[in-house]
Amino acid sequence: MSLAIAGMGWITPLGNGVDPVWKRLLQGAEAFAGKIAEQFGDQSYSAFRVPDSALASLAPHPRLRRASAISRFAAAAGLEALQNAGVKFGSQNDDRIALVFAISNGGVIYTKRFYRDIVETGAQSASPLLFPETVFNAPASHLAAILGITGATYTLVGDSAVGLLAIRMAEDLMTNDSLDYCLVVGAEEVDWLLCDAYRRWRLLRLEPPVEPFSKIERGMILSEGAGAIVLARQGSLMIERTHTGGYFRKRTEAKEILKRIISDLAESKIDFVISSANGTFIDQAECRALQRLIPDTIIYTAKPAVGESVGAAGLWQVILGAQALGRGELPPLLHLASTIPLRVPAARMALTKARHAIVLSCGVNQQVAGLRLSIP
Amino acid sequence: MRENTAGNGKDAPARVAVVAAGVVSPMGFGLGETLDSLREARDCITRVTRFSVTECRCKTAGQVPDQRLLDERRVAGRSTQRLHRTSHMIIHALGEAATQGPGFKPELTIIGTTSGGMSNGEDYYRSLHRHGNLRHSPTWIANYPAQKPVIDAQEAFGISAPCQVIANACASGTNAIGHAFECVRSGRYQCVLTGGYDALSELVFVGFDSLQASTPEKCRPFDRHRSGMVLGEGAAILVLENLDAARARGVPILAEITGYGMSTDNFHLTQPDPCGVGPRRAMERALRSAQITANAIDYVNAHGTATLFNDAAEGKAIAELLDRVPVSSTKSMMGHSLGAAGAVEAIVCLLALQHQFLPPNINFHAPDDGVELDVVSNEARPAALRTALSNSFGFGGTNASIVMRKFEV
Repeated sequence: MSLAIAGMGWITPLGNGVDPVWKRLLQGAEAFAGKIAEQFGDQSYSAFRVPDSALASLAPHPRLRRASAISRFAAAAGLEALQNAGVKFGSQNDDRIALVFAISNGGVIYTKRFYRDIVETGAQSASPLLFPETVFNAPASHLAAILGITGATYTLVGDSAVGLLAIRMAEDLMTNDSLDYCLVVGAEEVDWLLCDAYRRWRLLRLEPPVEPFSKIERGMILSEGAGAIVLARQGSLMIERTHTGGYFRKRTEAKEILKRIISDLAESKIDFVISSANGTFIDQAECRALQRLIPDTIIYTAKPAVGESVGAAGLWQVILGAQALGRGELPPLLHLASTIPLRVPAARMALTKARHAIVLSCGVNQQVAGLRLSIP
Repeated sequence: MRENTAGNGKDAPARVAVVAAGVVSPMGFGLGETLDSLREARDCITRVTRFSVTECRCKTAGQVPDQRLLDERRVAGRSTQRLHRTSHMIIHALGEAATQGPGFKPELTIIGTTSGGMSNGEDYYRSLHRHGNLRHSPTWIANYPAQKPVIDAQEAFGISAPCQVIANACASGTNAIGHAFECVRSGRYQCVLTGGYDALSELVFVGFDSLQASTPEKCRPFDRHRSGMVLGEGAAILVLENLDAARARGVPILAEITGYGMSTDNFHLTQPDPCGVGPRRAMERALRSAQITANAIDYVNAHGTATLFNDAAEGKAIAELLDRVPVSSTKSMMGHSLGAAGAVEAIVCLLALQHQFLPPNINFHAPDDGVELDVVSNEARPAALRTALSNSFGFGGTNASIVMRKFEV
């Protein structure tokens, strides 16, 4: 089943809004990496944060008063996507739009604060105001309340592939005639705790740059923000096919799943691939699979510029793919290793008559998925 | 895995069979023990042993005994011995389902959870904070992602279906089953593995305690003197398959799922709209999805957390929509297992339909003022049941209901 992308919303460390972020990527901009420290940890980490100014235009809402940053990011992206799609709804159709929310770590900042109180001063000091924000579906609930959605609202949890799994879920939901639209949102907020966890897992680099497809896995830099797309049945830019891929038990197995996905999605000519290469083991898995199956196709990843946004990453990649198809060009791939056996845009690259793209999402926690974007 | 690219499955809604099921909860390991607990109206709530509750108001929970899980671990073999107890709960539930209905090949797995691997996250954070031993931190971190126990369980049985993990708070289990039902009914999938899990964690326990949603007393759903919920834990798995395909395979059909409805109640992050509009909408949509009227429902397994707000709103919605239908909340016996609750309670409905009885709502002594409900008080009752409805509602205003029917050719 094909679905059209009717609208998009994007908030990243490079700014708020699809067009401003896209413009900065085309200019070869890289987000500013700020330092995050924590009282009980000796180590500080670098992360790409959303600047406060990016949220300045977000209208106040009672639900956002105490909400974690992740909910604000989601609201900014979701509202932009709906506005961009021209979707208006009220009491007569508020159950005809579904919300599928992709998330990885949830409102981790509040979760940490809530649990810190318990560890430091005991259960009696636990805050009843913070606890509800620790629940995975709190951001989706806030967004549904802001938008007035009364029908289906789902929160999907997973790794960087969760965004594409959420789009697949939206596709399944849209088989039901009672829905006109599905808003898919992916969001993530960064915290020291996440950086430390990924570092202990040997997936994080202490400082940028993120070096994509390098043979030495130097690690990723975490990032935050949100991406949103409105799916409809008709439009000029289609998600032609989703692929739920599967999961890998060992990292070395990721390549085989990626090959299966690419093989299934590349049944017609593919003009470019939006890769999930982020400086970890994923890069070589994708590189080998792509090299083997579609060696002449152009490959791009934005993660050196905007970082690994985990729960938001899949949506960001789809927005990138849609923008590249729609605008006919790709941003420059930053921080390339000198020798890469792939075709990559070393500089801003025009895409002549590009009509088909693959988005690959390989997560660090075992999930892999893909989809094909097309201009009919 | 079959990737459906042709059509949108609108041609003929498929009937959806439950072909296998498995469960582990404080009520027991497996369908047999669960059935015994339900029939005997067993109170399976015990004092919390997994972490200190000295500073909490509430001291009890429904707990899956560690020793039993440990024994199961030994049986499962070396490859699974290092896994977290959450994984072992799902492995046990999936193992029972696999034994019961061999040969199923799920194309997708949809599982609900509320807290995922939170207990691993706690271990990591606590050690970090106290500058303790972090030797095991990579394992704790690796076990934190919500999909990890699901993948562990699939791996143990050679299942490679992609996983979707739904985290719609306490409605997650019912949402997972409901979405799986719709996936099969639409014709896009032939077989989907579904269910829910959650293990007791300190953060969640203290969280509900801080909200004063949990009680130091007995869990008394729908009772006038109810004072709050008691937490629980568990895992339950159901295998849903296209009925025609299942019959062609010659497997026994345990029941049918015939309807699913959900609604989002934007009243408050943690409280339902007191007028019961959210639960009512979910139930109405489930009835519409099942193409039945309210009088076709023979039993309601209520969300029934025993909090003042939930039971008042849900009780009002049930009383208004369904005329004097027997209602029970089996959370009174095992506590509220959050993301697992909807799945465990679907198993309770399955057993009720198979064995023709009404599961009890224990600790019930006095009906609530102004809510006309036929609560199945304190003892199981024999009954002729054809159709059951199961409710789950959660933080964030998510409300979900499924309709399950006794299989008749």
